[in-house]
This record gives sequence, C-alpha cells and structure tokens, in this order.
Amino acid sequence: MLYVIEDMINGILMGSIYGLTAMGLTIIFGVLKVINFAHGSLLMVGMYAAYWAITLTGVHPYLALAIVIPVMFAFGYALQNIVIKPIFIAEKNVREPITVIIVTTGIWYILDNLTLLVFGPQYRSLTANPLQGQMFELGSMFVSAPKFYGFIIALVTAAAIHLFMQKTIMGRAIRATSMDREAASLMGINQYRIYNVAFGIGAATTGIAAVALIPFNNVFPTVGVLFDIKGFIIVVLGGLGSISGALLGGIIVGLIESVGPQFMTATWTEAIVYGLFLIVLFVKPSGLFGQKHDW
Amino acid sequence: MNVLSRLTLPAVALSLALGSFGLAQANTVKIGNIEPMSGPSATLGQQGKAAREMAVEEINAAGGIKSLGGMKLELIYADSESKPEKGVAEAERLINTEKVHVLTGCWNSAVTYPTTAVAERYGIPFIVPVSVADKITEQGFKNVFRIAAKDSWWTRDQFSFLKDMQDEFGTKVEKLAFVYENGDWGKGFATQWKKLAEENGYTVVLDEPYPSTATDLSPVVQKIRRANPDVLMLVSNAADAILLTNTIAEYKVKLKAIVASGGGHADPSFMKAVGKNAENLFDIVEWETDVNKPGAKEANDKFKAKNGYNLTGEAVDAYLAMYVLKDALERAGSLEPAKIREALAATNLTDGPGMIVGYDAVKFDASGQNENASPVIVQVADLGQGLERVTIWPKNARRAGYTPVFPANK
Repeated sequence: MLYVIEDMINGILMGSIYGLTAMGLTIIFGVLKVINFAHGSLLMVGMYAAYWAITLTGVHPYLALAIVIPVMFAFGYALQNIVIKPIFIAEKNVREPITVIIVTTGIWYILDNLTLLVFGPQYRSLTANPLQGQMFELGSMFVSAPKFYGFIIALVTAAAIHLFMQKTIMGRAIRATSMDREAASLMGINQYRIYNVAFGIGAATTGIAAVALIPFNNVFPTVGVLFDIKGFIIVVLGGLGSISGALLGGIIVGLIESVGPQFMTATWTEAIVYGLFLIVLFVKPSGLFGQKHDW
Repeated sequence: MNVLSRLTLPAVALSLALGSFGLAQANTVKIGNIEPMSGPSATLGQQGKAAREMAVEEINAAGGIKSLGGMKLELIYADSESKPEKGVAEAERLINTEKVHVLTGCWNSAVTYPTTAVAERYGIPFIVPVSVADKITEQGFKNVFRIAAKDSWWTRDQFSFLKDMQDEFGTKVEKLAFVYENGDWGKGFATQWKKLAEENGYTVVLDEPYPSTATDLSPVVQKIRRANPDVLMLVSNAADAILLTNTIAEYKVKLKAIVASGGGHADPSFMKAVGKNAENLFDIVEWETDVNKPGAKEANDKFKAKNGYNLTGEAVDAYLAMYVLKDALERAGSLEPAKIREALAATNLTDGPGMIVGYDAVKFDASGQNENASPVIVQVADLGQGLERVTIWPKNARRAGYTPVFPANK
C-alpha cells in the first residue's frame, strides 16, 4: 500500500512536469491552430539555455528562470515572426495551413542538428547543484525534491497563464483570435502580432518546463524528441488548447508510467499510454477535458 | 590510349606467364585488409588501419619474417563501406588480382560473415580481429581465425567476474536483478544472463526491460529498491545510463555491485554527467588503456602520438592480429596458404609486442575462435585525479596497486 502511495506521488509530480512541457504546445495550437512539431526542439533550446545560464553564472537552478523566460519568449516571438508568419500570409486563404506544420518540422530538424554541430553529441547534466539528488524522506517513502518543486512551478505557471488570458487585454485579444481569427481581425486585432505573442508565450512556458527538468534530467541535442511524443499524447488526452487539460493529461501519463511498472514491466506501461491515446482518439477526439469545437 | 595499351599488353602477358609462379615470386607477404574506410563505420575502419600499420612498421623494422629470409609484410586495403556485397567483391578481387596470401577484416559482422566464405572457398586464411557475431566461427570453416571474444562470451565473463570477486573478497552474492533496454541488444544479454544465473545457482529477483526513451526511470529504480538484489546488471544506452545512475543514488539503493555492459556506461560523457554517482560501478569493455601488461602503456603512447587518440579495443585486436600472423609466418616458413593455415591453427602466442590484451595467450580452437579471448572489467574510481576507469579483471591484468571495492556498498 505504501508502495502504491509512493508511486502515485512520483506519478503526480512527474506527470505535472510532463503537463508543463506540453502546455506551450497547447497554447500555440489553441491560437495558431497549428501543431508545432518543433515543440521538443523548443524544450531542448530551453534546456540548453538553462544549462548554460546555470553553469556559467553559478546561480541556483531556479534563478535561471529570470534569464530563460525572456530569452525563450524572444526566441519564440522571432521564430514565428521571421519564419512562420510569411507562410501564414502566403496561405491566408487556406482553411488549414498544412504547410506551416511542415515548416515546423523543418525547424525541428534544423534546431536539433544545429545544436549537434555547436555543442556536440555529449550528454550534459548539472552535476553540482543544490537540488541534485535532494530527496524528502517521509519514513521509508522517498519523494524527489526537484520534482516536487517542478510540480509547484507547473501549478503556478498554469494559474498565471489562466489569469493572463482572462484578465489582461492582450489575453482577451489572444482568446478572441483563437475563437475566430476573422472576427477578431475585424475588431481591429492584428492577428499576426497575436500569433507572435502566443508563440512567444508558448516558448517561454516551454522554457519554464526546461528549468523544472534541468536539475534532474540530462541535456543533449535530441532530448526534445523524448518529450515531444509525450507532449502530443498529453495534449490530445487533455483536449487540444486546454491549459488545465494539459496538466491533467500529464498527470494521467505520469501515473500510468509510475504506478504501472509495479504490476508489469516498464515496457508495457509505454504501450498502455499509447493505447489510451488511441482509445481517446476513437471515443472522444476532443480529449478528456476539451470541449467539442470546430477548429 | 595507345601508350596505355602498349604498356598494359606486355604487362598482362607477363603477369599471365608468371601467374602460376606468382606465389613463389612474391617478395613481400601480401595482407589484404577489408575494412570500412568510408560510410557509417569509417572511424572504426581507420582505427583498424592505423593499428595494423603501426604493427607492420614495427615488424618490418625488426627484420621482417626471418624464416622467409627477412621478407617484409605489405598491407593492401579494400573499402567495404560496411556493405556485405562490397566485402565479398573485394575479397574476390584481393585474392584473384592482388594475389594476397592472407586476408583480415572486416569489423562489421554482417560483412565478415559472407566474406569469410569467399576466403574459405579459395583456401586463403582469414584473420578476424574484431567482428563479434557468434556465427562467424560457427560455420565449420577451416580458414577463419578470430582474435576477439564472441558476443556470447561477454555475459559469460560478467558471471566469471562475479564468481571471482566473491571468491577473492569472501562476500556472497545470491540475488541478481537484470535491468536492460528493451531493444535487441538488451534482450540478447538478458536471455543469456537468465541461463547463466540458473546454471550458477543465483536467484533472479527482478527481470526488467525498459524503454531507452524513458524520461523518468524512478519507477524502475523503485522496483530495484524493493526487489532488494545483491547485484544489479545493466544494459543501457547513454541517456538512460545517466538517468539510472543518478536515480539509483538518489533513492539510496544499497547494492553489493552494479555490473554494466559497456554501451552507454562506456560513453565518454557518462562519467562527466553523473560524477560521483558512478563511483565503484563495474563495466565490461574490450580493452582499457591501463591494462597491466608489459608494453601496453608504451604501445598506447606510441599510437596516441601518431593518431591523436588512445588505442581502442578494435585497434588493439587489429594490432595483435598482425603479430599473430607474424608468429604463424615464422613457423610456417612458407607463403603457401595451406601452410600458413596450419601454422595459425597451431598458434600459442604468449608474449611479444602484440600481447597487450587482458588475457595471457592466443590459441585457436577447432572452429578458429581464440579460446582465451576475453574482455576486461573496469571499476570506476577516483584515485586522486578525478574519476577514471581502472582495469580490475582478469586479475593478472589488474592495475598495479589497486584493490577493487567489493562489495561496493555506498
């Protein structure tokens, strides 16, 4: 029994971090209506930014947020403005801008391979950091401290994004664009600027996830791919475009991954996650927590 | 064109006339080497080439093959590009056109396997320095001689190592846990482990394949912790090896030893990424630069000065292969392939510059496999200059002055 509780705690903590990694994906999709295949690469860029910010300045890992959030926002904003926007404009009259998806795939390959060129294939991890290996020991139960902090960060981030979307003018403009981009444009909202900002926020959120991961995970050029697939599953589970859905979807995946192996081999739990993904697609394509919506 | 044909015609005629005397007329021992010089395994081919050249230079400088009147060795290379069909074609060419006396190669097991069949058909001895697939020496061929240990011997040696350590340090190991990546490689190891565990009377308390792409391995580590094994045996790629090692340390899992299987644990960035958490880990490798054998350090220094990197397992086996051949040629006293083959089969090489491997003698069994071949086992330790890999097994290859930490309980 104690084992199950211990595993459930780990599952919820790790799952909320998965949810955090997927949050940026869901924000970008919600507004641009485009699956960003470069999402894992954004996470990778965020992890490298965090890694270098921490190792070069020697600050506490979470202080790196002060650098990583603006850097990732600017990076996302610029990426959308320079690379993706022209495609959007060219495909203005197309209902589903498929080409943009292909462009994000291109960005993924370019970013991963550029990183490989610049930083080499080495695996890096923060070996000497105040969070490394820190555990809360509750009797015979172990709870990883950096995962617990990651869980808090995920909740705070989700709440902050929610407030921003509800309370600020920019937030309202973003929501208006995501509901109906034509109507929003008629109301005087510059939809391309909204896209830029949404992409920036998505990238910054991914940067926050990167900082949450870096104290206990290693960094290498293709690290994003591992979280990429998980991110897609989480977003579909929780409902495309839903912030709380991403968090809950993440926790579901985390629980399966963490509790499952006690009853079967770890290989099987992966199969269960994918199986659940398929079932959700068949039964409730809008996701567990998403509303039926004509994108 | 005219000039060319005028030159080539007599040359062809001459070579035809000399054809049957070709062997007798040779004034060097021609060694055909089929290696991946381009393509995905090119770096390994280059390592093999550099090592062969170093050995042949040494042998020639020391007076060549004395029983053949100081005849020199000559290396002829062919590029396999890691493609089996290319290897086969090059073997035909080397034998028929270049008239080589011996063949060596091909690093990629998939190339070596069909290529040895060509050599067998022509009766040309084929020395395989490294191609580890078991089946290469299990074809019933008479002309194939492999220096490196077979694939299946790695797991065998992990178990011999465990037994030797228990005897040496008087600590009993009963419960084993097997945790491995769920690909071909991990599963192959695990199948052999299970058989060996049963034969040696160990209890397997955990048998856990996991996906190498896992982003959180604490569920697996929890399973290890709860199964409470004495020894944990691992097969991991790089990212998961790092994650596992750190997570095991975080959860303070008490183990008498962790025995890894190379791969991710031998990755150059592994030790850097896990730091202290790697301490006392055991890992199995083909060869390590600190192996305690006369000449090993000098050979490595010389190689490094020439090529800019340390000798690798591949390079050492290629280097040794040249000395095995030299030894056989001395005893054969002839360039007749059949005579060379006889001499190779009777090899019992125990000393000389080539013997910088972890074991003590090169001797081929009836199938042509070097029956003594074995990888070495290292322990990660900090001897004052940061973490390094220290050779500890076999015992007579152990670094002087080092006592392994066993049980390695932290």
